[in-house]
Amino acid sequence: MSEPELPEREILAAEYVLGLLDAEARLQARGLMASEAAFAASVARWEDRLAPLLDIMPPAAPDGDVWQRIQTALDQGDLAEEPVIEVLALRRRVRQWKIATGFAAAAAVVLAFLALPMTRGPGPGAIPAQQIAAADPLVASIPIGDTPLRLGVTYLPDREEMLVSASGLTADGVHDHELWLVTPDEGAKSLGVVVAGEERRMAVGAALAQRIEDGAQLVLTREPLGGAVPGTEAGPVVASGKLQKT
Amino acid sequence: MTSEPGPSPQHADAARARLREAMQRLAEGDRSALEWIYQATSAKLFGICLRILGDRGEAEDALQDVYVSLWQRAKNYDPERASPISWLAVFARNRAIDRLRKGKVRSAAVSVDEAAGIPDHRPLADAVLESSERSARIHDCIGTLEERQQDAIRTAFFEGSTYAELAERRGVPLGTMKSWVRRGLARLKRCLEE
Repeated sequence: MSEPELPEREILAAEYVLGLLDAEARLQARGLMASEAAFAASVARWEDRLAPLLDIMPPAAPDGDVWQRIQTALDQGDLAEEPVIEVLALRRRVRQWKIATGFAAAAAVVLAFLALPMTRGPGPGAIPAQQIAAADPLVASIPIGDTPLRLGVTYLPDREEMLVSASGLTADGVHDHELWLVTPDEGAKSLGVVVAGEERRMAVGAALAQRIEDGAQLVLTREPLGGAVPGTEAGPVVASGKLQKT
Repeated sequence: MTSEPGPSPQHADAARARLREAMQRLAEGDRSALEWIYQATSAKLFGICLRILGDRGEAEDALQDVYVSLWQRAKNYDPERASPISWLAVFARNRAIDRLRKGKVRSAAVSVDEAAGIPDHRPLADAVLESSERSARIHDCIGTLEERQQDAIRTAFFEGSTYAELAERRGVPLGTMKSWVRRGLARLKRCLEE
């Protein structure tokens, strides 16, 4: 059978739709859908192609109490997770990382971010020229859900520091958002809690800074106030994107 | 559960139109529309969740999740793009696979032979509102693939199996399984576009 292969991106789109990808690859595909319109369109086309197969899945009656549970959830404003994947591997590695570094260290990192003085400027576009000259910044513009809003991340390698603009996020009073670096071999590493509605400067530890490179994958999760609780699973991924050279 | 008589084309068109109209009401924030949609579609969507997850409790949790999300996301449905039941079915399947990947449940208990044995050209009446012509096309095209390609693609689609799981079940190296699937996909696409 000498069928010409499909382009790599299209193969990935089809594999995502078929459900062939493992948890992390699935997350990465979701990230691509958020950041590449052409890839998202390719996924949509494969969904359209394969959807008719669902016709032959036999219906089955759920228990009567499911509708009650749905109503209760809506009444209580107990909203569903965003339709993005919660990655087992990611959570497992987060746990391992937290065990390795210790709760205190993880908490201290988060507190350090929170304790930083709020810096309203300079924004990513207003970084002094000499800093850019020292090392090219990496930027990520991460779409948030289905909104037109974006999370802006600018990483300055020479300063091991990020500028995170979260003006697109709104604080709901019961959740915080946490930013993670997805590393290929060690899973997700926390970059800290993002402050909704604000622009913040966030320090990046030297060990973590070494892992940040062009194309590095970032994910944003929704967590309890204060960030992911050590020893528990990280919250649902609400957005993802890549750091890239400008 | 609203029980619909046979899936005649006229009937399917009318059912699609009613569902589309309910989706619009839902997007406008009419919660009574959600109950209507649940009555009309939950058996279909539960069948999908159950098939992927292979566990009633997990499938019911997934189903709950689907309709709660639907309430939040009805405005994302684009009536121009897909039939509402297709959109809902794809949505439910995606949520079920996400849940499967959480690793809480084992892979679906239904065997691949059983999956392959589902009658191909007999859409089940209840909530099947998809155009039977379009449906027949994908089944015909899958039928043109090599046996092992069909098997892999069907198993992935109906059970949400990963490459690694497929390779293990068929006792072939991962690369071989990928190659079967990828060639199958290329051929499938060509057939569908012919």
